[in-house]
Amino acid sequence: MTPAGSRKAAGLLQAFSPNKILSRSAMNIIVATQVVVFLLIWAFASFKVLPKPGEVFASIGDLWTNQGLGQELLSSLSLNFEAVLISAVLSIGLAYLTVLPFFRPLVAAIGKGRFLSMAGFTLVFTLLVGGGHPLKLSLLVFAMTVFFVTSMASVVAEIPKADFDYARTLRMKEWRVVWEVVVLGTVDKAFEVLRQNAAIGWMMLTMVEGIYRGEGGIGALLLNQQKFFKMSEVFGIQIIILIVGLCQDLIIGALRRFVCPYATLTLERK
Amino acid sequence: MLREKIAYDVRECLLSVKGVNLNLGGRPILRDVNFEVHNLYRPGMLQGQVVGLLGPSGMGKTQLFRILAGLNPPDSGHVLIGDPPVPVAAGMVGVVAQHYPLLHHRTILGNLVVAGRQAGQPAKAAETEAQRLLEVFGLKEQGEKYPVQLSGGQRQRAAIAQQFMCSNQLMLMDEPFSGLDPLALARMCQFIKDIAQTDEHKTFVIVTHDIASAIEVCDTLMVLGRDKGPDGHFIPGAKIQQTVDLIARGLAWHTGISRTPEFHAAVNEVKDLFAHL
Repeated sequence: MTPAGSRKAAGLLQAFSPNKILSRSAMNIIVATQVVVFLLIWAFASFKVLPKPGEVFASIGDLWTNQGLGQELLSSLSLNFEAVLISAVLSIGLAYLTVLPFFRPLVAAIGKGRFLSMAGFTLVFTLLVGGGHPLKLSLLVFAMTVFFVTSMASVVAEIPKADFDYARTLRMKEWRVVWEVVVLGTVDKAFEVLRQNAAIGWMMLTMVEGIYRGEGGIGALLLNQQKFFKMSEVFGIQIIILIVGLCQDLIIGALRRFVCPYATLTLERK
Repeated sequence: MLREKIAYDVRECLLSVKGVNLNLGGRPILRDVNFEVHNLYRPGMLQGQVVGLLGPSGMGKTQLFRILAGLNPPDSGHVLIGDPPVPVAAGMVGVVAQHYPLLHHRTILGNLVVAGRQAGQPAKAAETEAQRLLEVFGLKEQGEKYPVQLSGGQRQRAAIAQQFMCSNQLMLMDEPFSGLDPLALARMCQFIKDIAQTDEHKTFVIVTHDIASAIEVCDTLMVLGRDKGPDGHFIPGAKIQQTVDLIARGLAWHTGISRTPEFHAAVNEVKDLFAHL
């Protein structure tokens, strides 16, 4: 083996040592290897219900050209964006309101809503907002907000007393302390909470779209394919859902790094 | 070694602590703490003042620090600052806490500017003053960096510079010598002496348990400790047990003082005092 080759091999061995940081090229090799292994297992798996990669990718093409996958995806993305935006504004606003003792019980109660079943709310929300788009939106906003507000309220509650005292020593009045320490001081964490909850929302979207299929959406398309046991199409849509979810995650992560460049400066794994 | 006697005037009272008592969980922490810090003036010299508030661990130094900073009120007694004296409130004195906090989401320049704005400076003036202080504190190259990108020493200087932006005459420092290696400790002592001389209107009150470093940088020491009852047991609650005038002893405002026998004698004297507190 050449010296360069043995160095690369030694580098890859580090992948099995705890807390090691590998070079980008070494990580790319690892990711590529894992993807190839996954595809091989998939291609040669003997499960009858599991369509082959070729069939799945062919079905994606068919869904795109003949069944309006692009349009359904756009409809879902638009609904998800709307829900994420409303949920983020509501949750972050409510979490920041916990600086006022009056709102703490209310926010805690909203957070407890995460233990409730969404199935039990379908009828209530239908009666409240009617069907269609408002129903899907309200269900999604509710499902995301109960988790989002819990995480964000926890971020606010965990700000150390020393941070508040420090801001006071800079002659800040209490509302300025809230702005500087609670709002600006947690923006980076708010982005992280948003990233996690947007993922939860995207996961729930297909379920919610299944409740009212009239408006279409990728969830409705998925359930329709499932109804006719079109497994290649089902897997194809799942892959699209995964890719879009990953893109959403990457975009929010990039936004966080752009808005809060200080947030990742000292991380071991950036 | 006979050192030249330094002339100075004792002027207005900057900090007056009267009858401060504090109980926590029903346990007395501070008991009738009284002391005053006066402005000292050296003719023809730019001389800030450094007062050390010393005491062994567990004597309520941090609690007293918080009271002096206006962050917590005492159960009884008063802390008055300035001339004319007014009760202290948070933001009226500069506070440099032990771990040198800074606003992590702002650059160093941003940290200084926001402090200046809080002190009522217009934006342009705050930025100009911040740039000047960054230069004075050797942080000119670090202005656009975030606090997490600074070394420990740079962070200390940035935190002090930030308090310079918005504080009045008094500056409190909590355990500035804590956790430093000998070299960093020497640099910190020199740094405090240097910044005390950058502004004659600044008076530093340093809360610490590091006797040698305190004697090296301070001109006055106040030792906090507990009284002993007739039965030899400690009476709960600390108060000022002794004030050491280091100027009168020729230990303040001289260079190379830490190598003199008088310095070591003073360190041993305070150490002995600590042993009985």
